[in-house]
Amino acid sequence: MSSLTLRGIQKRLGGNPILRGIDLEVRDGELVVLVGPSGCGKSTLLRTIAGLEIPDQGTIEIADRDVTGLAPRERDVAMVFQSYALYPHLTVRDNLAFGLKLRGAPPEVVKERVAEVSRMLGLAELLDRYPRQMSGGQRQRVAMGRAIARRPHVFLFDEPLSNLDAALRAEVRVEIKRLHATLGATMIYVTHDQVEAMTLADTLVVLNRGAIEQAGPPLEVYKRPASRFVASFMGSPSMNFVPASVEDGRIRAAGLDLTAPRALDRAEVLVGIRPHDVLVAPEGEHELEMAVEVVEAMGFEAYAHGRVGECPFVARIDPDRAAEVSPGQILHLKAPETALHLFDPETERAL
Amino acid sequence: MRPVLALFAVLALLGTAAPATAQEVVFWHHYGDAEAEGLRAAVGAFEREHPGVDVRLVHTPFGAYASKLESAIPTGHGPDVFIDAHERLGTYARAGLVQPIGELGLALRLEYEPEHLGALAVDEVQYGLPVALKTAALYVNTDLLPTPPDSLEEIAALRGRLPEGVWPLVFEAESSYYDAALLHAWGGRLIDEDGAWAFEGEAAERTLATIRELTRAGVVPEEPNGDLVTQLFGSGQAATAIGGPWIAGDLPDDLSYTVVALPRVEAAGAAMRPYVTIEGVFVAAEAREPELARELALFLAGSDGSTLRARIGQQVVAARSPWQTERAAETPAFDPSGRLTAFRRAASDGIPMSTHANMRMAFEPAMRAIRKVLRGDVAPANALAEARHRFEDVTRPLPPERSPTVPLVVVGLVLLIVAISAVRRARDPQFRESLRASVPAYRYVAHAALAVGLLVIAPLAVGAATSLFAGYGTDMHYVGLANYADILTARGGELLGHGSFYLVLLVTVLWTLLNVAFHVGIGVALALLLNRPGLLLKGPYRVLLILPWAVPSYVTALSWKGMFHRQFGAINAILEAAGAEPVSWFAQWSTAFAANVATNVWLGFPFMMVVTLGALAAIPKDLYEAAAVDGANAWQRFRLITVPNLKPMLAPAVVMGSVWTFNMFNVVFLVSGGEPDGSTEILVSEAYRWAFTRSAQYGYAAAYAVLIFGILFFSTRVIGRRVEGMGGTA
Repeated sequence: MSSLTLRGIQKRLGGNPILRGIDLEVRDGELVVLVGPSGCGKSTLLRTIAGLEIPDQGTIEIADRDVTGLAPRERDVAMVFQSYALYPHLTVRDNLAFGLKLRGAPPEVVKERVAEVSRMLGLAELLDRYPRQMSGGQRQRVAMGRAIARRPHVFLFDEPLSNLDAALRAEVRVEIKRLHATLGATMIYVTHDQVEAMTLADTLVVLNRGAIEQAGPPLEVYKRPASRFVASFMGSPSMNFVPASVEDGRIRAAGLDLTAPRALDRAEVLVGIRPHDVLVAPEGEHELEMAVEVVEAMGFEAYAHGRVGECPFVARIDPDRAAEVSPGQILHLKAPETALHLFDPETERAL
Repeated sequence: MRPVLALFAVLALLGTAAPATAQEVVFWHHYGDAEAEGLRAAVGAFEREHPGVDVRLVHTPFGAYASKLESAIPTGHGPDVFIDAHERLGTYARAGLVQPIGELGLALRLEYEPEHLGALAVDEVQYGLPVALKTAALYVNTDLLPTPPDSLEEIAALRGRLPEGVWPLVFEAESSYYDAALLHAWGGRLIDEDGAWAFEGEAAERTLATIRELTRAGVVPEEPNGDLVTQLFGSGQAATAIGGPWIAGDLPDDLSYTVVALPRVEAAGAAMRPYVTIEGVFVAAEAREPELARELALFLAGSDGSTLRARIGQQVVAARSPWQTERAAETPAFDPSGRLTAFRRAASDGIPMSTHANMRMAFEPAMRAIRKVLRGDVAPANALAEARHRFEDVTRPLPPERSPTVPLVVVGLVLLIVAISAVRRARDPQFRESLRASVPAYRYVAHAALAVGLLVIAPLAVGAATSLFAGYGTDMHYVGLANYADILTARGGELLGHGSFYLVLLVTVLWTLLNVAFHVGIGVALALLLNRPGLLLKGPYRVLLILPWAVPSYVTALSWKGMFHRQFGAINAILEAAGAEPVSWFAQWSTAFAANVATNVWLGFPFMMVVTLGALAAIPKDLYEAAAVDGANAWQRFRLITVPNLKPMLAPAVVMGSVWTFNMFNVVFLVSGGEPDGSTEILVSEAYRWAFTRSAQYGYAAAYAVLIFGILFFSTRVIGRRVEGMGGTA
């Protein structure tokens, strides 16, 4: 049974196309992460699902019910805002109960749910506080609690962790994952942070310029990016790209000579290699020659930044031997066949 | 420092230079252009007769004239000779500001009418000489009435015979000053020689009945005021008008009219006798050249000086000789139109206004009685009895003087204790060290502390101290808390009786609550409308809605006052066009109060609107979206998000608005003026009445002011604490 279905959603704001025809199907209990750079339309898409924006074209179904023209309150969704949007004049208790009371839940039910949610999120001590009397992390938990208390059909998260510091963010990320497991609810989660995206998602949806570039399980998106955009967006440091030509089953460019992983019936190709997938090779066995410009050693990891031919290139090196690499040196590298990603240089789609 | 020294040097030079030009006489007056011109001509003639004498004319604005004289003469910065109305002579003589004018020869005595001369004497001592006469006369439009009417009955009979829309007579029928002329015709008086109330009995009742009859019969328009008189007569909409010489300046040049003495009242068998104000010339007590000053006074009031003032200044001079022509029917050469002669004749018929201090306090109660009778609320006898009561209330004997010893001793002890503790602390080396360290800090705040002290705290302290004194004008004595006792016991009357502190307080509180409720209601509603995202022409709307705030409040108040006029106001015109009965707005408490509230709501809502617009912009949009997703409809979003989030931001504005409204003098004073019968007065306008229309009882008014301050201080403290309590700091 599908929990949420989007068909051909289009939206323009001020004459600019923000969403250019989004089709998406979300299964019951699935956690879908919408990821993409700023301005890709992920927040607008979320707000469209919530009913805060009305699409110009397309239909939205929630639990097999067409909600395209319905007001937010008639959609049975709950949303966690980036700013948390807690009601400043209400205590935590009243914030949690707000939606339930509006929907006319009997007082016992309200009380029970508030108790349940505060237990689940560790808010029991804070129930009588006002939002201004709490830390950012506590507020964030109240914002999630407010959504959970309502037991909606679909949860919507709009970059809920972006106002937290790094340590807290990792903690809450795990908490969200656990909540998802406990509640088994359908969740749509918007972020621009790929770590969040990778760790949380059942299904990862990469958006670019108002369209879906790729949707699928996160590891698959990572391993088999459908386009140069996805490939460069997912993974850190970003994938290296070198335009090359194909000759006699080999892929060649200045400083690069690789065995093609399969027969290619084209003369030009864009080669993508992740920094983690290259290995230092003895001279003679090497496939890549990289002129080192900068070495970044972080102890647990080290990267050499430089150029292959004219193209900028980053390679992961053994952190223990990072001291042996110095700027100006030529680094000899090789890449396993399986690590090569080939793209059409014109369309930038994967081959 | 240097400019100050230079100033002292200049002042010292001036001080030594003044006696050097021994023949200078300083002369104060408050005349406007034409009259001043005549005065200059007369003074010029005097200077030609007395070579080497220099008369310096100093014009002092009318509004501040008396108080400047009172403060300048005792310190030697005042005039040698000055002109003022005879009613003030009593005060001046008591304060020793004027000196007797000396023996007058028989010829000079015959130059003036005994009554006019008598008005400038106190206890048989002649202090001044009559210079000019100010009184009311009858203006007649000669296009409508070629022959001036002889009697009031003749004027009343004009009704129906004049063209459509023309009133037979226009005058300030509600003013006790003008109605006194009728009262005098019936042989009555407002107050007697001893200053006791005399506006009662048959003469008074007949006067009121006559005025009511004239108004009811449509001879005289309702609710007239000075502007309306000039306007109706000037535009030819009134055949006759009663007014002083000051009206002539506002009449159009092409209006053909004449002036005659006030008409007879056939029923009374006598002519209407208006009040006359006799302007006298006085020699100041501190005159540097008393003999020269006296000569100047005699010259100005005498035949030659008077003739010049009449010819050039078109003044109604008091001296008789300028008016004497060879044939009695002719007018003097300086008065071809005969208007001045008519005023002069009216002045001869008139009655000099009493110099008693109670005179000024008689006008207001009398006016209230007249208005009540005109509205038909009560019978004349009852209205007059009430007026007597009111008059006696404001002229009640002052509280007895008390010895200020006890409070002075207490203040002295407190100061002593403060001084001793200061000295003791100053001995403590640690304190001295910290004081020395704080010197720069004190230097930084010194100018602000000085400014606040001089501009805020000092006036407050002086006001509070004044409330412990009683008296008229500057003539006050210490009475302790007697003023407060008087106010808080409603001067011995009923606690909620007319004009009592508690009743006025009740009206003030109701006034404040209603106004602030409307201000907030309308302000918030308009702000919400303006805040709608899709609204076109938002800028122009905003400007238009803020406009009432930008217009000075007295301008707005006067416009609204005009719109509420019974016969000529826009609001009644609309009501009549809609087929409704016109409303006499200031006749009942409810409508008068409503008119005040309407005006003040118009003035006050823009402030709340602007504050609300700001507060609305500060409510995050997220909250509305969160509420929408949580299931709130538009009304619930307003009730559960907008209202609670506006509250803390509006609360200070509401407190401020309440204080402003509580003290909104302009609207109450200018729109209803306390009508009907003082019942729409609020505390601050009541305090004003005590200070400025009831013989300058500053101490009593100051006690009111202190009480107002106390009420506002404590109520804002209480509200402030409640605002904090509801989490207003969010």
